[in-house]
Amino acid sequence: MSSLVLVATLALKICAVVSSDGLILTASASAGGQVSPLSLPAAAVLNAPVYPAATEPIFSLNLLSSFPEDLEISGYCNELLRVFGERYVAYVNCLVPAARPVKVCQSCFSSYGSLQATYLNISTDQMGPGNVSCKDSLLRSDRLMLVYVLYSNLEDLWSRSDCDNCITKGFQSLTSDMLYFLATLNQTLTCFEKYQQGNHTELCKNCKASYKDLNELYGRMEKNSTMCIDIEDSMNMTRRLWSKNFNCSVPREETVPVIAVSSFMLFLPIIFYLSSFLHSEQKKRKLIHPKRAKSYTSLNIQDKLS
Amino acid sequence: MANITKKVSWSSRADESGAAGEGTPLLNGSEQPRLFRQSLDYDNIENQLFLEEERRLSHMGFRCLEISRWVVCGLIGFLTGLIACFIDIVVEKLAGIKYQVVKENIEKFTEVGGLSISLILWALLNCAFVMVGAIIVAFFEPIAAGSGIPQIKCYLNGIKIPRVVRLKTLVVKVCGVICSVVGGLAVGKEGPMIHSGAVVAAGVSQGRSTSLKRDFKVSVLFNHYAFMPATARAGGTMFLGGVLFSLEEGASFWNQMLTWRIFFASMISTFTLNFFLSIYNNKLGQLSSPGLINFGRFEGDTVAYNLYEIPLFIAMGAVGGLLGALFNVLNYWLTIFRIRYVHRPCLQVMEALLVAAVTATVSFTMIYFSNDCQPLDPDHTEEYPLQLFCADGEYNSMATAFFNTPERSVRSLFHNQPGSYNPLTLGLFTLTYFFLACWTYGLAVSAGVFIPSLLIGAAWGRLCGILLTWADPGKYALMGAAAQLGGIVRMTLSLTVIMVEATGNVTYGLPIMLVLMTAKIVGDYFVEGLYDIHIKLQSVPFLHWEAPATSHWLTAREVMSSPVTCLNRVEKVGTIVDTLSNTSTNHNGFPVVAIFVLFSIQPAKLCGLILRSQLIVLLKHKVFVELARSRLTQRKLQLKDFRDAYPRFPPIQSIHVSQDERECMMDLTEFMNPTPYTVPQETSLPRVFKLFRALGLRHLVVVDDENKVIGLVTRKDLARYHLGKHGLEELQLAQT
Repeated sequence: MSSLVLVATLALKICAVVSSDGLILTASASAGGQVSPLSLPAAAVLNAPVYPAATEPIFSLNLLSSFPEDLEISGYCNELLRVFGERYVAYVNCLVPAARPVKVCQSCFSSYGSLQATYLNISTDQMGPGNVSCKDSLLRSDRLMLVYVLYSNLEDLWSRSDCDNCITKGFQSLTSDMLYFLATLNQTLTCFEKYQQGNHTELCKNCKASYKDLNELYGRMEKNSTMCIDIEDSMNMTRRLWSKNFNCSVPREETVPVIAVSSFMLFLPIIFYLSSFLHSEQKKRKLIHPKRAKSYTSLNIQDKLS
Repeated sequence: MANITKKVSWSSRADESGAAGEGTPLLNGSEQPRLFRQSLDYDNIENQLFLEEERRLSHMGFRCLEISRWVVCGLIGFLTGLIACFIDIVVEKLAGIKYQVVKENIEKFTEVGGLSISLILWALLNCAFVMVGAIIVAFFEPIAAGSGIPQIKCYLNGIKIPRVVRLKTLVVKVCGVICSVVGGLAVGKEGPMIHSGAVVAAGVSQGRSTSLKRDFKVSVLFNHYAFMPATARAGGTMFLGGVLFSLEEGASFWNQMLTWRIFFASMISTFTLNFFLSIYNNKLGQLSSPGLINFGRFEGDTVAYNLYEIPLFIAMGAVGGLLGALFNVLNYWLTIFRIRYVHRPCLQVMEALLVAAVTATVSFTMIYFSNDCQPLDPDHTEEYPLQLFCADGEYNSMATAFFNTPERSVRSLFHNQPGSYNPLTLGLFTLTYFFLACWTYGLAVSAGVFIPSLLIGAAWGRLCGILLTWADPGKYALMGAAAQLGGIVRMTLSLTVIMVEATGNVTYGLPIMLVLMTAKIVGDYFVEGLYDIHIKLQSVPFLHWEAPATSHWLTAREVMSSPVTCLNRVEKVGTIVDTLSNTSTNHNGFPVVAIFVLFSIQPAKLCGLILRSQLIVLLKHKVFVELARSRLTQRKLQLKDFRDAYPRFPPIQSIHVSQDERECMMDLTEFMNPTPYTVPQETSLPRVFKLFRALGLRHLVVVDDENKVIGLVTRKDLARYHLGKHGLEELQLAQT
């Protein structure tokens, strides 16, 4: 399907190229590009009944693919494109089921690895067999740049999920940190499962050790920044289970001593202000009296106003 | 009230104090004879010495002078930036350590119990820092208390407040502000930074420090007039805001060159700050890192505001004005109480300690009892999130407001995602922080009111935003912050620019302006701005922009002081010494007249004006007529000798004059200012006022139609008139 779109865009691109050459050619070429998909099937119905009419627009587009040879993409590139498409689909197929709870790193790293390898092949500057480079023809010969955009979306997803932190170099396996975390997580979850039925206080007591271990491990990993979305998500879920579902958070217990200490503290300023009000000697200010001309000293503003 | 005798008096027993004030001599001469508020001499003394020097100065020399002024401005900017950088880094480091310790402690005790111990630890840590800050302020340099902006405002207005621009003040101020911010008080560091910038500026342009006993010979560059520019520096990033601040807040006298130079100094200071911060953050050479006051940029859709929102903003401005007025009134009564009863240094330190402890307690209690738990953003900036009793993975959102330096809290109120605060949390926070900030301002610690006001405003502004539901709360937090700050300090021009600069959004220029205008109008209806209140309470003869309205019927004759102590053109040394040593008058400028008999009422013809400082220098160098005749080789006194004594002239007591010398004569002709400003006695008060404000006068001689001295107008004579509720009122200035 992607190759199809590419051919179509190639056709349009040629229109653009031609249009810069001459006006008359442009007119005919654009007519060919735009009108033919609509008109040709009708013609096909009349002339060649072999082809099922109108139901096969692919065919009508394929008719267009008879561009001069140097503009056509080579067989090698076509092959690369096909492989890219397959692996792309495989990766996306893997991603979607791993969306909730998030397991995108642990389950799909290998398919991402192969996808990346194919894309590297496409985007490499080195010439393939037959001295062709598919970089220009596949990645940036049109405005849509479909292959590039498709891949960069997934690449963005990958980098935002920080999966690199949990996968060894070369997409071989999960890192040992990740594996250790998963093991600890499993331990905690098994514990949760074991005590889930009965009283939750039981659970809180018995699973506290393993939960605490897990929490500490997570804290350490957070500091080393060896985290990926899988770890974050599973930890979030576990924490939610622990605090919300099982209600194992620390309760607010010592309200009385806190209130006592704070009311004592709040009481101090009152004593302070009262005592300074009662005992401190009041400071008085002396006023500076103006020296005025004799005749005016008796005349106050108030007098003058009235 | 400090100075309206007719209404409120200092004492609780009004009449008695009034009577006492009249009875006692104005000064107990022995104690602090020269701690009167003095005015600054901005006026050039165009005496013969000055003219001679000007004649000697070549064209080239004049050019050099101009260039060296620029260099000095750059230096001022550089040093200020350095200080700002120092304060910033030290506060960040120390506060980081404190919060880390408390956080670990709280985490430890949340599980095993004993959180009251964490509370005590927090309070003790706060107290320890605040104690250091309060002790150095209360015992070593009381003038360094508060934000320093009122003092700088007075200084720019032309009033010399003793010790306000000393190096010692600078050191105490810097250490004090670090201590009080780290100590968790509801304070900011911007006001003190402005003050320290002013000290640096004044210090550099004077080029000397008595504390260090050094003289760098810079003062030649600046006459009195020119070192003002310098004073105008501003804190950190607010480069444009700083320039406008000095324009708005003070500066009696202004010209284009000055503005340009201040701008230059501010830019240099910002550059320095960024440069050193970039080194500190290991990003050498990255000079665009945001500076000191920076609340982060509003990005994306949140920037947009709609036409229908403008009335809402204006309403918020009105609320800010009301709350600001309430803040000011409360702080006013508190300050009066403090002046009356809490005036001993040890009491002041104790009060500061109590405030620190209570602040910690209240914050802790708020955090402890808060049920508002929120998960953190993926790109959160909280450095010390507290979980406490929240579910794992969630954090106490009251703690993001309280358990942080105020500046960071402001930033999180502006920028945290919608939904990261409960309305209840914000309401409680506003309420407590309002009273805490009000209580804190005016303590004997160096601390500014900028950031706390912004924080209060941001909290209730965000609350408004949440209640409006459709809007982005961060935008409303910004408007609330502007409204609250405007309501408290009542600045308009510079605040608009500072707010726009601090958030980096020019889009908000108009709404912020409207908000600030509304806040000022509403607030002014009730009470003055906080800085003005404090200036008034310190009984400073502050001259506002305009003379009080409806004062045109007052003439110079009614305003002036009379009779005037004058000196003769050739005066006996004994008379001069006696006049200068008379502690009950302590005058500073003396009109020089043709023939004058001391203590006679008869006026005499004016020929010039001479200042106390000049007389003291003359006495010190013994420039007596008799001596000049006997010792012909004696070096002629130059302007340099006067400048060397600047800015701290020795008191008259330190000058020894023998009995023989008392009989000598002194010729003042050469040294006096032969053309002092004078006004006829029928001049109206606004006219006199304008002269003072525009020319930076200190003395204005009132003469009659025969040019005979009949009175003298000083700043104190003008500042006592003010427009009250019942028309024009005359205030009594208290002595401090």
